[in-house]
Amino acid sequence: MELRIDNRKKVAFPRINHYDYAIRYIVEQGIGAQFILLPPATKKTSELGSKYSPDYACAPFKHSLGSLIEALEAGAEVLVETGGLCRLDYYGALQKEIIRELGYRCDFINLAEYMGGSKKEWIRLARHINPKLNPAKLVTGAYEGVKMAEYMDEIEAMYYRNAGFEAEKGSYKKVYRQFLMEMQIAESGQEIKRGYQRAKQALEELPLKMPENPVRIGVVGEYYTIMDEHSNQFLQEKLINLGASVHRFMNITNCHFRAKETALRPRIREYAQYSMGPTTTWTINSAMDYAKQGFDGIIHVKSFGCTPEMDAIPVLQNISRDYHIPVLYLSYDLQESDTGLDTRLEAFYDMLERKKKVLR
Amino acid sequence: MKKAYLGIDIGSISTKGVIINEENEILAQCYLWTEGNPMNASKNVLHELKSQFDAANSREEYKIVASGTTGSARKLVGSMIGAQVVKNEITAHAVGTTTLHPDVRTILEIGGQDSKIICVENGVAVDYAMNTLCAAGTGAFLSSQAHRLGVEVEEFGEIALKAKKAAPIAARCTVFAESDLVHKLQVGCPKEEIIAGLCKAVAGNYLNNVAKGKKIVAPVVFQGGVSKNAGVVRMFEEELGMPVLVDENGHLMGAFGIAVLAKESQDERAFSFDVADMEFKTREVTCGKCANHCEIICVYRDGMLIDSWGNRCDNGAIKQQ
Repeated sequence: MELRIDNRKKVAFPRINHYDYAIRYIVEQGIGAQFILLPPATKKTSELGSKYSPDYACAPFKHSLGSLIEALEAGAEVLVETGGLCRLDYYGALQKEIIRELGYRCDFINLAEYMGGSKKEWIRLARHINPKLNPAKLVTGAYEGVKMAEYMDEIEAMYYRNAGFEAEKGSYKKVYRQFLMEMQIAESGQEIKRGYQRAKQALEELPLKMPENPVRIGVVGEYYTIMDEHSNQFLQEKLINLGASVHRFMNITNCHFRAKETALRPRIREYAQYSMGPTTTWTINSAMDYAKQGFDGIIHVKSFGCTPEMDAIPVLQNISRDYHIPVLYLSYDLQESDTGLDTRLEAFYDMLERKKKVLR
Repeated sequence: MKKAYLGIDIGSISTKGVIINEENEILAQCYLWTEGNPMNASKNVLHELKSQFDAANSREEYKIVASGTTGSARKLVGSMIGAQVVKNEITAHAVGTTTLHPDVRTILEIGGQDSKIICVENGVAVDYAMNTLCAAGTGAFLSSQAHRLGVEVEEFGEIALKAKKAAPIAARCTVFAESDLVHKLQVGCPKEEIIAGLCKAVAGNYLNNVAKGKKIVAPVVFQGGVSKNAGVVRMFEEELGMPVLVDENGHLMGAFGIAVLAKESQDERAFSFDVADMEFKTREVTCGKCANHCEIICVYRDGMLIDSWGNRCDNGAIKQQ
């Protein structure tokens, strides 16, 4: 028997929805290191995170710290934390300290230090993880990983838009799960593309029982909480189970590759003249779009104490008044039970549905 | 035989029940404390409704064909009595109030642990908001302060109306309000002024928090347990500058609304008062199949499992025998 020892470094990144799969792809196929792919987050993750977090840190901090600790327990050697436009930029530094004080020995890469850096520095960073780095492979790997994220965004959007009306119960979910599974194990750009095409075709072929005027709900809000299902307690899944068509503009593709902040700002001139911080421009822009397209309702999602999104609330109230569209505001911390959320969502959906019946 | 509909609203503090006929007239009604035991409370409600029903000899005339439950224990009691409709209290209140007051534009509601505002247009709810995260300025807050002051919460309104002015009390947060209140007591402020201040604080807190950004248009209906407090009603009228209507059946509105919804569902099944005498038990099971440790609630009727919920994934689904 041949004994193969895996010398690759074990890299981990905090969980964020299913984007883990794309990051795994970049790390494994591009950089040539090993990625610690964690199982879906549980209550244990958030408990771990909040136990070692400062009390006033927002929920995303706690979730990502919990993920990092779980990754360390799973054998990670290199932790990567991202930077951002709000407090997030400081999170890496703080988490590095917390993890060091907990006594874990690992390499901590804080991407905040590399933001805005030159290409050379990024390549040096990748070389640090894998000294035998092949730059050409890194470029294709990164490209295909990004492509995977885009495909996942597209299929996810399709899923939440239509799954509430599937003719056969569970048929949408089955295809969607299969697709995510394929992305999780994909090893080449071809596999990614094939998985995507198959899923898209399968979803398009599934019969729908779409009413003439379905209840359409747009979800807007803060970057992490809105995208990460575990953080928002499966908000979109709950909405499709109630029977709504759910739309969400905010995702990696739209936020980073398609709609730049500077491009969106002129569109929302009416409501905001300058950028109010991280994702507020996207929040306001998509809320305005949903209102203009005649959506039935908007749900605003943020983590508790998220200042930029708090600033966006008065603007959303203006939009709500001008376009006559109800907005439900949700604020997430680490909650134990779903009951409060379920009540609010059910009431919101019922209201939209009854309104439709009476006003049409 | 005419048709009748049953609605039960099981709140954190009180449990309400009504029976209505097809013309939405209340045939029997009941209001009592939940006392932390929703199953017992709803059994008592059923007993009370049954005796009222018998006393009026309505049992020969009416037959209950549908039932509904609402309030925080709706699911439990719903599976207990086999209700056709199990709906949240916001929808129930909106439906109930718009049925009784078709011209209403704004519904203010302060209950034991939550408060909400519902905006109505053309007889249908178009927007709502509910308090988040904190129970400041709800019925529970008022009754705990009444306890501190040594008066019954039912007398609050009367005492507040006697006061010449209201003591300023911050209501942003229950804890801060309490320290303000203690301070006022220590400097010798008269009790009625403090009580008036509390009522003002509740109204102010509601308008600044729950109703923030919502346009309040007359006619305004105020309901929920706190609406029985005349002091809070007056403070609302002063703050809003418009009359605030309190329905004498305002406390029953949730139960009434869910009965109306049960009627609308047109899903008819004979209802029997026998459930009030059956034995129900609930058991909480912690699922150990993943680290989520969901608490699964199982409901048993006479030892038989009739319903279960609380699992987040299929792994925790309990198979019914």
